[in-house]
Amino acid sequence: MKIHVNEQIVELADNSNIEQLLTYLDKPLMGSAIAVNQEIISRSHWADTILNEGDNISLFQAIAGG
Amino acid sequence: MLSDDELLRYSRHLLLEDVGKTGQEALKKANVLIIGMGGLGSPASLYLAAAGIGHLVLSDFDNIEVSNLQRQITYQSDDIGESKVEVTKRKLQQINPDIKVRSINKAMPEEQLTMELTMADLVLDCTDNMAARQMINKACVNAKVPLIVGAAIRLEGQLMFFDHSHADSSCYHCLFPDSEEQTLNCSNSGIIGPVVGTIGTLQALEAIKYFVGLPSGIKNKLKLFDGKSLDWQTFAINKDPKCTVCGQH
Repeated sequence: MKIHVNEQIVELADNSNIEQLLTYLDKPLMGSAIAVNQEIISRSHWADTILNEGDNISLFQAIAGG
Repeated sequence: MLSDDELLRYSRHLLLEDVGKTGQEALKKANVLIIGMGGLGSPASLYLAAAGIGHLVLSDFDNIEVSNLQRQITYQSDDIGESKVEVTKRKLQQINPDIKVRSINKAMPEEQLTMELTMADLVLDCTDNMAARQMINKACVNAKVPLIVGAAIRLEGQLMFFDHSHADSSCYHCLFPDSEEQTLNCSNSGIIGPVVGTIGTLQALEAIKYFVGLPSGIKNKLKLFDGKSLDWQTFAINKDPKCTVCGQH
């Protein structure tokens, strides 16, 4: 299936969850936040959130600066 | 009641239907704790003092360094070496002698923060590190004090509002559960002044709106600011029932 990650198209196996997406993208789990279709998915739900064709994923890092 | 001097000073607020005398009196009664007097805390404190927030408490343990001056607009070259909170307090009182400003020139341990929260109506998190952000969030959840969080590095900003006076509010930890310092800050990533200034200014705007009774469009939301395109993205932050800070555990 095709999904959008930060506006880039990514081809991913059907029924993949968020943890599998991050592993596939080789992104660290620590310090990352992820939103599916403009809704933040809490870390505790990354393993049980299944992605769907056409989902818009936003992946970004916590920033602490101020 | 507002004095004649105050009616003149705040006349541009009083012209606004959304503020008016009632709103200005609410600002005068308000107690705001601002933690961190850097690039966020500079514009936030200047605007809140100018707006007539009656009681401001400023917390920071740093002295002013030359590398702060590129973005921390409260300070000038003469101030290098002086305490940030003391210099800020002096400048805020020059802007507005009618308000009360108190300074805390140290990194507050959790017990002191909890004590300060008993007197605060609202907290602005203007800090520069993840450990402080997690501690402030936890203390505000426990004390049920609303928290406006700002952060910025490079040309990116983040802005959130968690109203912990409502039990169903999500929290900073629902969004970022890591306390380890693997995150990005201004010293390791760099920052452009107006980017962090934009976020600090919006923290002040949200604070003013909160006290005058205007609804916030960002409660339980994360606003991401891109300083290159000037685009904003908005994300809903749902309460995580498994959150170890605000959830049922």
